[in-house]
Amino acid sequence: MAAAGNAKRCNDLPRGVERLKEEHRKVVKDCRSKIEHWKKVEKDYESLQERLKTLPDKLSYDIMVPFGPLAFMPGKLVHTNELTVLLGDNWFAKCSAKQADALVEHRKTHVNKTLDDLQKVMKNFQNRADFTDDLEKLSSATDGTGDFVDIREEVVNEEEVTKGKHRLALKPNSKPKQEYLLELQQVKDDGEVKKGPSEEELWARLDELELQEEMQDERYRLDSTDTNGEDTTSSSSEEEKEADCSNSVQLNGHQEENGWGPTSQTNSSIVPQPEVDEENECEEETGNSLPTIYFSHTVEPKKVRINTGKNTTLKFSERKEQKEQAKRKKKSGKSNGHSPHESYKFTTPADIYRVFVDLVNGELMPRKSILKSRSRENSVCSDTSESSTADFEERRAAFGRTMSHDEATHSDTSDGITEEESPTGMSPRSNGHFEAFTGTVIEKDPMPSSIPHLTIAPPALPTIPERKLEELGPEVPQEPPKRMSKFKATRLQQK
Amino acid sequence: MAEVIQKKLQAELEKYQQLQKDVSKSMTARQKLEAQFTENNIVKEELGLLDSQNTVYKLIGPVLVKQDLDEAKATVAKRLEYINGEIQRYETLLKDMEKKSEQHREVLSSLQQEYQRAQGLPAGKV
Repeated sequence: MAAAGNAKRCNDLPRGVERLKEEHRKVVKDCRSKIEHWKKVEKDYESLQERLKTLPDKLSYDIMVPFGPLAFMPGKLVHTNELTVLLGDNWFAKCSAKQADALVEHRKTHVNKTLDDLQKVMKNFQNRADFTDDLEKLSSATDGTGDFVDIREEVVNEEEVTKGKHRLALKPNSKPKQEYLLELQQVKDDGEVKKGPSEEELWARLDELELQEEMQDERYRLDSTDTNGEDTTSSSSEEEKEADCSNSVQLNGHQEENGWGPTSQTNSSIVPQPEVDEENECEEETGNSLPTIYFSHTVEPKKVRINTGKNTTLKFSERKEQKEQAKRKKKSGKSNGHSPHESYKFTTPADIYRVFVDLVNGELMPRKSILKSRSRENSVCSDTSESSTADFEERRAAFGRTMSHDEATHSDTSDGITEEESPTGMSPRSNGHFEAFTGTVIEKDPMPSSIPHLTIAPPALPTIPERKLEELGPEVPQEPPKRMSKFKATRLQQK
Repeated sequence: MAEVIQKKLQAELEKYQQLQKDVSKSMTARQKLEAQFTENNIVKEELGLLDSQNTVYKLIGPVLVKQDLDEAKATVAKRLEYINGEIQRYETLLKDMEKKSEQHREVLSSLQQEYQRAQGLPAGKV
């Protein structure tokens, strides 16, 4: 029955096209006849005008007056200047010849207008008919018989195409919202605690969109290269995804959100890889049936590492991401003590604050406000990607101590991610993954004295985290005392 | 079972056809009104071109009755308003009828599906 239905539909298509063409042709014919009619009317009016012009020349004319349909009779035409004009709708007016002429002129404009409209309609329908013809040829071309060829370009990453239209990438993410709700409900059934998910999601979404707007503005201001732009777009999408993740405490939700991430990523080969890694990692963490991906900030590192002098793109995105992270942490902390992408558990909201520690002049200080971006010194500054690495290292130390690495992941680069991951046994993959990004340049090591092995040339970035990870344990106690200001560190490095 | 559905289908179909006729009637009436509207517009404009020196006549049956120019203008304006109101009325009527015909169409399609299913079942059983 289904097959028969399909066959019928196939037959219907050409029939439908035929019918459409017929209708088009009918309309066009109609229009033509109407145009004919109105053209005749116009000609009549013109001849009438001619007559009116000559009529008052003589006082009276000798004419043959028609008597009925078959007879004429000689007579005179008098009062040649007095005309009774039909104005329409059974109204008459007595006018002179000139006044009648004016009236006729006025009517002619009306006729012309109608003519123009008809012409337009006819042209319109003619075009439509032609288009259906072309369409038919095109459809037949799919069989291989026509001259038209359908040219298709498979776009893997739409973000790449639309540099400025970052919001387009968001649209795919709008779908997960529903999935969130569904999954959350599912989880609810399973007995997990979640309060007002949809509401939180909405708020998170609002925040995301705000951030995106800001990001967009900044991007417009700061975008210097296409690659940067692409990266920022991807990062923005990542942010968004993360932000979306923030709302759903469930692994499900996170993973669902992350699942969207890869689809809208830029086409840079590097970019998907970290995502893949993230995905792999997340799969471990998730105990859900859906093999979704949680993905926290994968592209960021590359962006940062491309040392194009005063590359500022990452800075803002990082800040935003930090904010997002903070918000997410807050929410996740409040709603439930578990954060899916952390190996450390928050049991109280206060745990969140433990994560957000700033390194101020060599000391770990709790941040006054999670939402506020870090101080200039500690934040990722445009002029110093080193500062980012310094931050990263600070974080690493902090994390080493507090066993929470959310901040690092989002604030810095994939280094942070790898750091987290390596403890969980993902180092080989992450290492390999980072090696792939040798394109990224890590500039200077802010702690040359404390960690000599870190003072490696730019391409060393990929390796730095690895070693760091290895030496994290013993180094942790050493690092805090040897912290110095980022600027000083960079200066040292530059020397 | 199939016969019942068939009868229902027939009844629905008749109602739908009746509704369609009403719709078309309203459409023609509205088109006529449109034509009158344009005509009266032209008359109004042409009256505006005249001056009080010209005498205006109105054709009432076989008689041409003299009219005052201003009176004529007022009368034409009133007629225009009346026509406008009629057009509006017909438009709302048309919309209602469209909605009703939509409903009928849906009912018809659902009935048709049922009928086909009923037809298919007996065929299967047989």
